[in-house]
Amino acid sequence: MYGEAKTISRIYYSLIHILKIVDCSALYPIGATGRVLMSNKINNVDSIHWAAEMHAQEVFDGKLDRREFLTRATALGVTSAAAYGLIGLNAPARAMGTPKMGGTLRIQMEVHGMSEPRLYQWSEMGNMTRGWLEHLIHYNNDGSFSPVLAESWETSDDAKTITINLRKGVTWNNGDPFTADDVVHNFNLWCDGNVEGNSMATRMGPLVDPDTKKAIEGSIVAKDSHTVVLNLPYPDITILAGIADYPAAITHPSLDGGNPIDNPIGTGPYLPESYDVGEKAVMVRNENHKWWNEGNGAYLDRIEFIDYGTDPATIMAAVEAEEVDMTYESVGDFIDILDGLDMVRAEASTAATIVVRPNQSTEVDGQKPYSDVRVRRALAMAVDNEVVLELGYAGRGKAAENHHVSPIHPEYAELPPQKVDPAGAMALMKEAGMADFEHEIISLDDGFEKDTSDAVAAQLRDAGFNVTRKVLPGSTFWNDWAKFPFSSTTWNQRPFGVQVLALAYKSGVPWNETGFSNEEFDNTLVEASAIADADQRRVLMKRLEEIMQSEGVIIQPYWRSVYNHARPGLVNAGVHAQFEIKYQNIGWEA
Amino acid sequence: MGRFILQRFGVMFLTALALTLIVFFLTNLQPNLEKIAKFQGNARMTEPEVVSWLEKNGYAQPMLTRYAEWLGLAKGWTHTDDEGKVTGRCIDHGQAPAEAPSRCGLLQGDWGYSIFFEADVAGKVLGKLALTGKLMLWVMLLMIPMALIIGVLSGMREGSKLDRVLSTFSIVTTATPEYVSGVIFIAVFASSAVGLKWFKGTATSAMENATFENFFLPVLTISLYGMGYISRMTRASMTEVMTAQYIRTARLKGVSFYNVVVKHALRNALIAPFTVIMLQFPWLLNGVVIVETLFNYKGFGWALVQAAGNNDIELLLAISVVSVMVVLVTQLISDIGYVYLNPRIRIS
Repeated sequence: MYGEAKTISRIYYSLIHILKIVDCSALYPIGATGRVLMSNKINNVDSIHWAAEMHAQEVFDGKLDRREFLTRATALGVTSAAAYGLIGLNAPARAMGTPKMGGTLRIQMEVHGMSEPRLYQWSEMGNMTRGWLEHLIHYNNDGSFSPVLAESWETSDDAKTITINLRKGVTWNNGDPFTADDVVHNFNLWCDGNVEGNSMATRMGPLVDPDTKKAIEGSIVAKDSHTVVLNLPYPDITILAGIADYPAAITHPSLDGGNPIDNPIGTGPYLPESYDVGEKAVMVRNENHKWWNEGNGAYLDRIEFIDYGTDPATIMAAVEAEEVDMTYESVGDFIDILDGLDMVRAEASTAATIVVRPNQSTEVDGQKPYSDVRVRRALAMAVDNEVVLELGYAGRGKAAENHHVSPIHPEYAELPPQKVDPAGAMALMKEAGMADFEHEIISLDDGFEKDTSDAVAAQLRDAGFNVTRKVLPGSTFWNDWAKFPFSSTTWNQRPFGVQVLALAYKSGVPWNETGFSNEEFDNTLVEASAIADADQRRVLMKRLEEIMQSEGVIIQPYWRSVYNHARPGLVNAGVHAQFEIKYQNIGWEA
Repeated sequence: MGRFILQRFGVMFLTALALTLIVFFLTNLQPNLEKIAKFQGNARMTEPEVVSWLEKNGYAQPMLTRYAEWLGLAKGWTHTDDEGKVTGRCIDHGQAPAEAPSRCGLLQGDWGYSIFFEADVAGKVLGKLALTGKLMLWVMLLMIPMALIIGVLSGMREGSKLDRVLSTFSIVTTATPEYVSGVIFIAVFASSAVGLKWFKGTATSAMENATFENFFLPVLTISLYGMGYISRMTRASMTEVMTAQYIRTARLKGVSFYNVVVKHALRNALIAPFTVIMLQFPWLLNGVVIVETLFNYKGFGWALVQAAGNNDIELLLAISVVSVMVVLVTQLISDIGYVYLNPRIRIS
């Protein structure tokens, strides 16, 4: 009955959507895109990485667009201000006026159960603790990185040594000074693959000893009190992106695997006041702690995260009842409806996506239907990604090419367009002897995940395949998400293409949901991850993309743009491409 | 009477024991345990990680042993990891193992730990019960008087125009499930689609600060459904009483219609609705599941949905015990109340 209620409320809100005359004049300026703006003082031009200068030349030559340049240059340790400078631009100014001090912000966001940061499985969990557990570096919506607790970082020419210079004068809120030892301690925590569910171990890649599943002896060194040196056995550029990701919050040694809500020692300006899972979490400004960035943030007195579940209709009712000031994410038709409710829309284009994939190693009735490449190829061939984008996500994104590497990834290589050929697909399926097989596509019971899977199923049926659908609530779905024979999964964006492939398609990695295991792919991927220069990496990436397509690993219909809404007058509340909410930067307009 | 009440409590105890055993069995089936491991550890854990997690967290023991742990009869599990760190059922994070009690279950007054809420079950269940209690109180205050008035008015003159109108109303409300009426109310009274916006379409803020504006719609939604049912019962009972011999006698003696209804008919006519109203309590516990979810009011029903959805064993067990208590206590009250309403019935 619970499901019925939701369906009916969905029907009702769709009705509103149809009936409503959307006020087109209400096109609000798009909010600030959550950039971390802090002047970077150690802009030492002498130390600019040679590759960054080379890339700058590529921008002038028209070989590289600005966004790609920023991702590459900042990953090489060039500050974003300097990176903009290299291509003759000024870093963008804050989009709106300075926020005033004070005020309460109510954010619609799920309140998940908490764990120590390296075990975080949701961006929401990272957002909760962002007010006191800060990161070393931050990934910006424009593809660049900006410094937080790290002041700067450099990659050696062979990309095997990464030097991280820490910000000086930072203290923990218990009075301890923040030093390189704390950071080394955190790196060791991240590298510990023996802890179940520690996804940071995958992100730390080469730093982890494959035998002991712990950090390689001597690979993480505190050179002095504020310098950390990472010595990699082989080059890997994705580590920097890894430490900007949400589970990489820097914790105090006293946390000791505990819950950061119970033991909130951190460097940031806020503290948790209350935390009720599934209901509400409240953060308040920590008046007894001098924040290193005092004066450039921590505007709000109080931040409330209120859980309205995942049903967009409920979230909309909350906005309408004026119980929240900002949504975590606005989806589907509700984007237009929320526009009409005097909310300011913000958009971020991302490499976030949905993948509808068969699992090659899952058994169905004693056989492995998707171990046959012909079956997988036929499935991918029958689906027109443009159509799925239109039906499943109302065209709010860009059609994808079934290889999970986005045009906004620096190493993206363009492949010839794929042909949609339902007749050919059927022929291939017949050849595999699977024309009568009943495919069951499993998806979440809500939102674009459901609509997209429905659209894919419809396309497959049009090609003559026998397809049924099954929807599951989130609590059931995510328990088995990687093992379903044929299901859809959402993937957040990551800054580098090699990163996504290593996380999801390398043989045997925890998040490999396709059961894909291909030696050439694995080897090429390791090789590609070792190349700091994106142009050289692109050569190998092209091969990786080709393997993904020819093996029919996934049906990847589109890249999503993401949206959220905030009340007018809220500054820096725009959606982040990785759904980070840095509430120390948000405030009410003066 | 005393023996009767004692007997009822005995039944309650046995029912609770039997029900919790069944719930315990169902929530401890292997797939459900894997679900717990993934929920608690990481949704994206691998198979061997799950096994090792279950072992480390005491789930690998036989089911009956763990049920006895929950009751407080058996000693709580402990686990010593490779580095000599001891964890266990009764050892809090940061507590020295030597200081922890050996048993911690119902007998020791410990209702266990909710994995979903990450909090003690007892405190959470009480808090949620209080929230649902608040909702139910207002529902009862609105529903019972309205239902009785409608029932008596339509029952006192069977077949009259007033009876037809009120009966239609009762049948329509009781035939409309809450998830339909709730959605219609939100659409009409709370959204900008119709534009009335008299009330709020969510009751989340009513948990802390209930106002007429944010609390009326959920109360109305539940009330209307029960109202129709109770008023139909009252009407049936009232019409029956109104045709009884003694009412005719009273009328023939020249007693006014008002006095006949209020002084002679009402008391007898209310016996049947009284039982129905008492039976509404357990039904409300289940009815609030939908309404609380629809209006995002996080009470007992919502907690039940979360507990079941996340296979939160100890929370589900506590909820089962509370449900058994609510059902049997309200039945007990209705039985005792009967004695006072109807002198012909004697208990013991």
